[in-house]
Amino acid sequence: MKKRDILLNILIEGKAGQGPNAVARVVGKMLVQHGYSVFVSRHYGSFVRGGYNCNVITLSDSPIMSNESQIDILVTLDGNLKRTYNFQLKKGAIKLKNNREGNMFFAGNIAKILGIELKILEEFLKEFSNFETNLKDAKNGYNKEKTKIPLKKLSNKVELIDGTHAFSIGAINSGLDIYFFYPMTPATSLANYLADKQKEKNIFIFELENEIAVMNAALGSAITGAKSMIGTSGGGFDLMSEALSLAGMAEIPIVIYLAQRPGPSTGIPTYTSQGDLDMVRYTGHGEFQRAIFAAGDSAECQELASWAFYFSQKFKIPCFVLTDKHLAESLYSINKVPKIIKSKKSTSLKRYNSYEHGADGEVSEVAKVINKSVERRLKKQKEIEKEIGKFESFKIYGNKNSKNLVLFWGSTKGAVLDSIKNIDAKAMQFIILEPFSNKIKAELEKAKNIVIVENNSTSQLSKLIAEKTGIFINVKNKILRYDGKPFLSDELSKEIKRRLK
Amino acid sequence: MKKEINLNTKNVNTWCPGCFNFQILAGVKNYVANEIKKGKKKEDFAIVSGIGCHAKIFDYINLNGINTLHGRVLPMCLGIKVGNPNLDLIGFAGDGGAYSEGISHLVHAARYNVNMKYLVHNNQVFALTVGQPSPVTEKGFRDRTTPFGVKNTPLNPIKLMLAAGATFVARVFADAKQIEWVLEEASKHNGFAFIEVMQPCLIFHLDAGMKDKLYSLEKEGHNKKNFEAAMKKAEEFDYSNVKRIPTGIFYQKETESFEDRFFQLKNLKIKKMSWLDIKR
Repeated sequence: MKKRDILLNILIEGKAGQGPNAVARVVGKMLVQHGYSVFVSRHYGSFVRGGYNCNVITLSDSPIMSNESQIDILVTLDGNLKRTYNFQLKKGAIKLKNNREGNMFFAGNIAKILGIELKILEEFLKEFSNFETNLKDAKNGYNKEKTKIPLKKLSNKVELIDGTHAFSIGAINSGLDIYFFYPMTPATSLANYLADKQKEKNIFIFELENEIAVMNAALGSAITGAKSMIGTSGGGFDLMSEALSLAGMAEIPIVIYLAQRPGPSTGIPTYTSQGDLDMVRYTGHGEFQRAIFAAGDSAECQELASWAFYFSQKFKIPCFVLTDKHLAESLYSINKVPKIIKSKKSTSLKRYNSYEHGADGEVSEVAKVINKSVERRLKKQKEIEKEIGKFESFKIYGNKNSKNLVLFWGSTKGAVLDSIKNIDAKAMQFIILEPFSNKIKAELEKAKNIVIVENNSTSQLSKLIAEKTGIFINVKNKILRYDGKPFLSDELSKEIKRRLK
Repeated sequence: MKKEINLNTKNVNTWCPGCFNFQILAGVKNYVANEIKKGKKKEDFAIVSGIGCHAKIFDYINLNGINTLHGRVLPMCLGIKVGNPNLDLIGFAGDGGAYSEGISHLVHAARYNVNMKYLVHNNQVFALTVGQPSPVTEKGFRDRTTPFGVKNTPLNPIKLMLAAGATFVARVFADAKQIEWVLEEASKHNGFAFIEVMQPCLIFHLDAGMKDKLYSLEKEGHNKKNFEAAMKKAEEFDYSNVKRIPTGIFYQKETESFEDRFFQLKNLKIKKMSWLDIKR
């Protein structure tokens, strides 16, 4: 694998309301324009003003999808803060701090340090309302900064986009008609992105009184034929599980965007987790069919949105796309056009039933009719499994011949792929978690050492693998992080190496 | 000769003999048949029911729709109307589903003002689960779960709907003629029509005297455009003490419906389309 020549980590911290997030976005875009691959993560607490927020930008000359723990440039928007979250300052790191200046002063500082022209920065300031003030601050910061570690201009062409935004584009390109929601971090911003496009794309976005109403209304619009979707996080989804079971019984196509955050209960609202895989696999009473897709980056958010619409429409089942706070809100550099699978609308208004029913939708308690209906749905399960075979249920990365195998799903993709760059290892990403591909077992059996990386405390993917393949992963080889924070690639690299010794 | 309008299904009716639900069923069928005679097609209707005795009405009317979850009739109806704003939609619920499990949806339905009819079959009891009290059961009612009698005051749904801003609030008795009449009135209303149907339950809540206490608001010259008068009338019956029970339309106010408030839905109405017709 190509060695990186350049890798820098920039941490921008401040209080909520001081605009660390805006500085990070502007700097990220500026670096992309300069030809670099960039990854920007957001870390914040559950408050609107005050507290402590930080954004971490990692830039590289080659594709990057995670942050490292060692910070090269620290920007502190509020002089009283110096907490750097769970990151550490490198020896000789550049520290930028100025209590009197506006946030874009620091964007000017960074532009100057990295040798990026002011006019590039100016371009990206235009997306903010107070352009004149921001530009004045940025110019001031640019002119006052003396440190220089210029980055040469590169020709990489990438698009910087967060997982939620990407998912919204994927859903729209898959033919979304109607989106119902109830606000819940980290899923709320999907409604923002979709609402921005409702006029242009003629889609209907509506906030209902609670999650129960959201799921039931979405099923209502789905039975009239509209491509319908809902979005929420774990706690919100808990309220939807009865209606999910209805979708299973009445065979209603519905797409569920589920952005995870740490639970149980209210948990740690603005942090990240992969704790809801068990839930989406089992939730809803009775036995019914479903499909679960887990996106690992922004490009996959777009692609899997279309897979979810495709499978839900083709088989009239609920389909989940799992993301989490880290994926939903981090900015990823995409360097390819995501492949959208088109799907036809399959449903029209006829007679539907929450009771067991025959093919005509009429209620029945007759054994023959019940058996026929249950068996028809079971047969559908086989058909879904067959169709899954045409899709990439899992992806393989790294040294394909290596006997060392690192397993992961979802947003840990970035840290895992960046961490194995200098390790003799093959990485395997689980994308379709339900139905479970019958090719996975053989792939696992090829490996001598298996390590698994997950953002949860019970290794839910291990459980799934054990259930489906009978393969149990050594508990010592489970790298689990459950403090609400994403993995950092340098730390993860050490953890993986330790397990492969 | 015009073809007979057949709304029957093959399902065997399992309501108790003489159940007042038969009256409601007949009234609804008459309303639908009349509308079809006037030019509507069967496909222009949709029906949604919840869970309970009332819900079996779905089994006996051959129209599109869904027999959905307990308490979730209203969000299902909203979804269906968002999916196709051109449908003539009737939602059916029992007093348990409407006033207990689904009460949050009811308050918001008044606010949303989706153009639909909502018939609450109110027998003041959970009948299909064999006789537990609902939020509108009178004080003192006893069943196996309440050996000391119901202690709490019943909810007054008419007052609740008026306070929540419902644009059409009515109460009728479970009588085919009254049902047919109120549905016709409601179909002229552009918005959410809340219709409470008082019905004795022959097994668990007989209330033999109720029918004698009913009177018609129309005949007493009640002005349905007067909100204060409607509130006063609503207070005449507190669901515990049966003295006088007003029936008819308490209140009606013309305003734009949910579907008229959003350009996406308005367009579908103008073009007589649903999202199914939109190819992307």
